[in-house]
Amino acid sequence: MPSSPKFELPQGTLDLLILRVAALGPIHGYAIAQRIQVISKEALQIKQGSLYPALHRLENKKLLVAEWGPTETGREAKFYRLTAKGRTQLQTETESWERLSEIVSMILQHPLGEPS
Amino acid sequence: MNWFQRLSKTVRMERELDAELRFHFETLVAAKIQAGLTEDEARRAARLEFGGDEQVKEDCRESRGTLWLVSIVQDLRFGARILAKSTAFSVTAIVVLALGIGVCTLAFSLYNIAVLKLLPVRDPATVVSIQRRSPENITPGIPYASIAYYRDHAKSLSAVMETMHGAPLVLNQDERRVSATFVSSNYFSELGAAAATGRLFDAAHDDAASAPVCVLSFRLWQRQFDGDPTIVGKSIRLGGKPATVIGVAAESFASLGADDPDLWLPILQHPYFVEGSKPLADPNFDGLIKMWGRLAPGVSRTGAEQELLSLTNQLRKTYPSVIWDHEYIVITPGAHFLSLEGGPPILPFVALLVFLILAIACANLSGLLLARGAGRQREIQLRFDLGARKVRVFRQLLTENLLLGLLGSIAALPLSYAVLRLVLVYSNAPAWMSALPDWRVFLFTTAMGFVAALLFGLLPTLRMVRRKKNRSLWHQFVVCAQVGASCALLILSGLLVRATLHTLYSDPGFAYEQVLSIDPGMNEHGFASAQATAYLDQLQNRLRPIPGVISVSIVRIPPLVNDMVMNTSIDVAGRSILIYPNWVSPEFFQTMQIPLLRGRTFRNGEKDAVILSQSLARKRWPSEDPIGKQWEKSNLVVVGVVGNTRAMELNNTDATEIYYPPAADNIPEMSVLVRAAGDPKTLTPALKAIAGSIDSGLRPTITPLTAGFRKNVAQAEQFATIISLLGGIAIFLAVVGLLGLVSFAVAQRTKEISIRLALGANRIEIFTAVLRRFAWPVLLGLGAGLAITGGFSQILRRVLYGISGLDPISYAGAVTILVAILVAAALLPIRRALQLDIARILQSE
Repeated sequence: MPSSPKFELPQGTLDLLILRVAALGPIHGYAIAQRIQVISKEALQIKQGSLYPALHRLENKKLLVAEWGPTETGREAKFYRLTAKGRTQLQTETESWERLSEIVSMILQHPLGEPS
Repeated sequence: MNWFQRLSKTVRMERELDAELRFHFETLVAAKIQAGLTEDEARRAARLEFGGDEQVKEDCRESRGTLWLVSIVQDLRFGARILAKSTAFSVTAIVVLALGIGVCTLAFSLYNIAVLKLLPVRDPATVVSIQRRSPENITPGIPYASIAYYRDHAKSLSAVMETMHGAPLVLNQDERRVSATFVSSNYFSELGAAAATGRLFDAAHDDAASAPVCVLSFRLWQRQFDGDPTIVGKSIRLGGKPATVIGVAAESFASLGADDPDLWLPILQHPYFVEGSKPLADPNFDGLIKMWGRLAPGVSRTGAEQELLSLTNQLRKTYPSVIWDHEYIVITPGAHFLSLEGGPPILPFVALLVFLILAIACANLSGLLLARGAGRQREIQLRFDLGARKVRVFRQLLTENLLLGLLGSIAALPLSYAVLRLVLVYSNAPAWMSALPDWRVFLFTTAMGFVAALLFGLLPTLRMVRRKKNRSLWHQFVVCAQVGASCALLILSGLLVRATLHTLYSDPGFAYEQVLSIDPGMNEHGFASAQATAYLDQLQNRLRPIPGVISVSIVRIPPLVNDMVMNTSIDVAGRSILIYPNWVSPEFFQTMQIPLLRGRTFRNGEKDAVILSQSLARKRWPSEDPIGKQWEKSNLVVVGVVGNTRAMELNNTDATEIYYPPAADNIPEMSVLVRAAGDPKTLTPALKAIAGSIDSGLRPTITPLTAGFRKNVAQAEQFATIISLLGGIAIFLAVVGLLGLVSFAVAQRTKEISIRLALGANRIEIFTAVLRRFAWPVLLGLGAGLAITGGFSQILRRVLYGISGLDPISYAGAVTILVAILVAAALLPIRRALQLDIARILQSE
């Protein structure tokens, strides 16, 4: 497996990504990690050590609900699904993230050496 | 989900967490196998990638909020290991805690048995005690006529019972008297009592004219009749009257009203056993018969009180002289050994003392904990360095403390059980009283374990976590509190022991050794005044000529032998003076050898004279001659002053006495005192024969005054023993605590001491340098202890007859003992420090 550069996700970002992935429909932990890895083109690898605590935290905050069900291979897995509260949260988080990244890039693209 | 639901689902969630992570792992392995790895390789790779399984779980638990539960188990396990490793510390701590908590548990157990527990009778919750009150009057009893009226008319009571404690009766020809309680015929059946043999009273004994019967207590049956199985149907003589034994109450029978008599008699047969008795016949006779009831189903105590109040108002029309103005009825729960209502305020006093002991135990332990904390600094530092959070370490240490506290509780239970058993056996407690702890005691002891853990553990633990190395104010505070509390307890013990000794070894003011008291019991037998005077005159005249009799006199309240004591008080210049009155014949002072200091004694038949004790005369007329003065707005004139005695209350030297001549209405209550030339016991048979021959209906009691004195002394000695024991425990705790504190101080300064020694410092100088640190807190603590006890001295005054609440000897003694102990406790660890291997210590630093 090619070793990708290790990203330190900013605090709270992982939660946002999980909510986004779970918004597509019920999904289990392994698949969430896979999907994030695939969508990010292998740039992000989610460690189990951070994935599962995050899932449990979101479940505890009632942004996700979990249900046990069979996978395509027939094994029992824990599927996470977005709640109404989670959907609202995803929306506000997404908006604020977009605003934040806009502002950050605005500042970073500001030419060097020029007085503001 | 609230935390409680989460808690209940913890087990399931643990299982799910496990399954979820395993699924992830297996899927990962499957993916790797698909990518072309062998199964072994795939598993190894997956495990590497997966990281620490337990770490993931722990983080999940934490984000879910159930972490604390799992980690408490961990903490407990770890705490147990730590405690097991340092055995000496753990054992000392548990012993100290067991003592501190044990004393609390013992006190609570006694309180529980006496006040909280319901008696083992049928349906105890509905058994009530019924008393009458008015703004001016309190008596425990109700006149029989009123009880009968309530019984016949009250609808809120499904049953009414009566009990009356009788005077001790002579059983057959025995010297020892037995105590009897007269009860209504429904008493046993209403309480659901069983008989050990035979039967108990029933409705057949509701007839005053039926054959006289009695029910024996299990104890009397064993003691007097050796458990004779054929006792039922036998006839015994009580106070000279024959009665048939119909049965023996079961050993576990619990009487109402803290009463534990040798036998029971039907109340309607009272006139038979006590000739000429009045309680049943005379509606004005009050104060002896207690009324009990059972609330009808669905009736509250207030409801019953209201109904009885309206019945009282109807009764007033029949017996206007019997019912008081504004009389009302008070109904309290009846199925308790003691009712605290209207009792002396002893509970807060005992609670304070007991809590003080626990506080001292905890203060001492926190000293030890502190000393240990200094030794554990390295371990805790290591845990912080490994990334432990403050809260986590704090909680771990707190769990350790809680574990210690609970172990202390567990050790306290058997300790208090053993002592309580001794107390119950020693005090001849009724058989139903069990020393076994019930749920209340368990709950209390467990709670005390938690309280103790907080008391001894919180501050040292905070200190350890904050990693303070400097001497904190807290440390000084522990010494201060410790010394203060120990000081207060020691002074208290000293005062009580001194008061007891004072009682034992000081002159009572009269000579009792050769005096006998003869109580004819005329009052119980309804003697009228003239009849009693005739009897007493005849008795005295026949006693005087007996060889060996020096002096004969009559007295209403014979000193030492009477359980009853009367007192009154007068105001002189705004201060109340306590006075013990007595009614005596002229020869009384000669019989008792009380010196006549001024004036004269009574003349025969004199009515308008009084004699004062010197103490009373001085208080009333500090600078005048009392002889010839009129006594307190009466027509009585002071004719004489006699020496002070402590006749009425042996342990009260403050007492003042006033003596009146016998009055017509109290003649039937009089006893006769006889002074013998030699051993008074040799006179007893002759006195008995004479006293009995004058009136065959009477059963005189002959008691040597020495017996009364011995009884008083035995009580005082028991009291002193208990107090000394408590004081001993306090000193032991103080030694443990101070030892811990000084060890801690030395441990902190080991390096400094070593360097000083290496540089050739004087050992005495180092010794004083370490001790000096304790000087201020110790002085402050001593001051606080003195102030606390001094502040309470006015309350103590009532308990400490004869000793001032500010008695200098007790105070000085306590301070001296404490300082001596402090120095001794300091010597040990310092001595050890001074013998240290200097080279090794300096090297290790």
